[in-house]
Amino acid sequence: MHFCGDFRTTYEKDIEILQTPTVRIGVAACLVFLVVFPFLVKGEYLWVGLQILIAVIGAVGLNILTGYTGMISLGQGAFFGVGAYTTAYLTTKMGLSFWVGVPAAGLVTAAAGMIFGIPSLRLKGLYLAIATLASQFILEWVFLRWEPVTGGSFGIVVPRPSIGGYVFESDRSFYYIVLAITVVMVLFAVNIVRTRTGRAFTAIRDHYISAEIMGINLFRYRILSFGISSFYAGVAGALLGHSLKYVTSEQFNLELSVTYLAMIIIGGLGSILGAIYGAIFMILLPKVLTVLTGKLTMLVPGAAGLAIAMEQGVFGLIIIFFLIFEPDGLAHRWKMVKAYWKLYPFSY
Amino acid sequence: MKIAAMVAGLALVLSGVAFSAETIKVGHLADLTGPTGDVGKPYAEGVQAYKNYINAHGGINGKTIEMQMYDYAYDKNKAVNQYKKYKEDKVVAIEGWGTGDTEALAGFVSTDKIPYISGSYSAHLTNPAKTPYNFFCAADYTTALRAGLLYLKEGWKEKRAPKVVFIYPNHPYGIAPIKGGKEYAKELGFEVLGDEDVSLKAIEANSQLLSVKNKGADFAWIGGTSNSTAVILKDAKKLGLKTKFFSNIWGIDESTPKLAGGAEEGALVMAGSVRYGDKVPGMALLMSVEKTPQVTHYIRGWVAMMVLVEALKRADKATGGKITGTAVKDALETFRDFDTGGLTPAKITFTSTDHRPYMSVNIMEMQKGKLVIKQTMTLPRKAEWLGL
Repeated sequence: MHFCGDFRTTYEKDIEILQTPTVRIGVAACLVFLVVFPFLVKGEYLWVGLQILIAVIGAVGLNILTGYTGMISLGQGAFFGVGAYTTAYLTTKMGLSFWVGVPAAGLVTAAAGMIFGIPSLRLKGLYLAIATLASQFILEWVFLRWEPVTGGSFGIVVPRPSIGGYVFESDRSFYYIVLAITVVMVLFAVNIVRTRTGRAFTAIRDHYISAEIMGINLFRYRILSFGISSFYAGVAGALLGHSLKYVTSEQFNLELSVTYLAMIIIGGLGSILGAIYGAIFMILLPKVLTVLTGKLTMLVPGAAGLAIAMEQGVFGLIIIFFLIFEPDGLAHRWKMVKAYWKLYPFSY
Repeated sequence: MKIAAMVAGLALVLSGVAFSAETIKVGHLADLTGPTGDVGKPYAEGVQAYKNYINAHGGINGKTIEMQMYDYAYDKNKAVNQYKKYKEDKVVAIEGWGTGDTEALAGFVSTDKIPYISGSYSAHLTNPAKTPYNFFCAADYTTALRAGLLYLKEGWKEKRAPKVVFIYPNHPYGIAPIKGGKEYAKELGFEVLGDEDVSLKAIEANSQLLSVKNKGADFAWIGGTSNSTAVILKDAKKLGLKTKFFSNIWGIDESTPKLAGGAEEGALVMAGSVRYGDKVPGMALLMSVEKTPQVTHYIRGWVAMMVLVEALKRADKATGGKITGTAVKDALETFRDFDTGGLTPAKITFTSTDHRPYMSVNIMEMQKGKLVIKQTMTLPRKAEWLGL
């Protein structure tokens, strides 16, 4: 039973990730659901599930950089590309396995991210956003023109992973690999933000001058944040490449970067759970709108032409409304819902 | 009496069910409302019109083609989602559309063994060793570019080497034929000048065309779509360029005069079909189904479906009615000089090692707001050009 909040009496209790039985049961139920999910659905819906898992990795990574360290990046899409091309090159041209390709993709992208993060020493806010936008354009250009490595305008056909003789060819089998990686990476992120490093990130975000006066090496932590965030993007990009079985420059454009930024803003900046909610929201919303406009087309004949345009308009409107009425994101809304029930019927 | 009527009704319903089971499922991804909707819509209408005609005239050996068109609005994520649905529905082939969806699905169609006939004519897709389930029904972009260069070289009368410049967007569609095209231009004795980048969304191209003017290019190849090509032609006229322009298949069509307002006069396009109303055997049927004049893209959509229908018929016979994706691919690879009724510049041939349908291109010129066929250029089917 909980009356108006949690009362912790030891430090060990205070740093537990899953603090109450309700949370523990909830997380366990979620995990069970995720494990049985591929057997409940198939085809398109399974594919959407797979895309959400990959988006969660990318969004959690970006939230460490933007939400926790306070640095805007418009290059997440291109960093996805670095990861995808790295694993594509390693697995198809050098003959290495998926199990080497994906971590390597993370490391190479982390290195790339750290290089493009160097301007963060001098720049912040909008200025940094534009500097990272440059990384988006430079990398896109490289993807298209560095033909011996990236396959140029054709791209690279990549295989699905295998262990021994077993190939994870079906979406269902590949889903479990992605699920395992996603769980590990989310746990890792949850732990990073609880460490000394995570606290340094938050301090830099909240007031970088104070942080520096406290002895935090700004440059080191900013670069580290770029590195960690890019590592996540690299792994997510590699998984995206293997899931699509095809890597081409068109996949990693500015639109992807903006989508990820939208994910963490809608989900909740500076919250791992928020990044997860945002990823789910941004991947599911277009699907839901497609279904709804499809139904509308059936009801109102001749609306087919309007439906697609409407879909994009509604998508934009929902995001605008979200930012106006729930600027702290879905994570905050969820907190409010929980608080309401915890305090019910006394709203003190 | 009532019972008899009910039994009869039930029998009718059951027979209807039995009849509907006798269908062949095919997917159709189209862009009607997205960025390439201007040319995607007529292409998709051509595909659907031929399907409807076949269904109304006996279908595939008596079976109906069940083909729902899905407007993916050039959003590759939507295309992949819909593809998953098609796969679940067990379609035996897909009529696709642009570079975005074709490339995003290239890996899937190979492993799932579902033939994919697209409107993206990148030469990369013609090598079965890399993309065994991809097909299309026009000369690939590089072959078209080579044909254009050959046509211009043959008409070149001066002693000096002709100078050519390539204007294209920094986009897979624009870049795809550049390497092969440049190599061939040099082989023919062209002086290849530096490239110019004009985006597909460009609203002006003054600086690039000024550069073309300064270089003194005799010829300029445009690798854009109708909008960006019109922008280039208009700015070229404004700057008083003497350069002769020749564009890729999607650059110039019947709508260009409206977009370019007279600046298109004399520009060439390497087309993959004849024009609506041309006197070829296949046109009579097309015109009996489609009474209003259509752009060349419609005719290519019609041909793409004509080829698939023929493959389905052959696969149906070969498998005794149990069509699979592999059977359709095998059937497509039995095409030897398949006659489209003169709607395409040449007859179609696919083999298991070469998915180039033909090596011919109709060179058309814009004259007084109309497309005029100047010549049909045919290149040799060189092995070293496959996929390049």
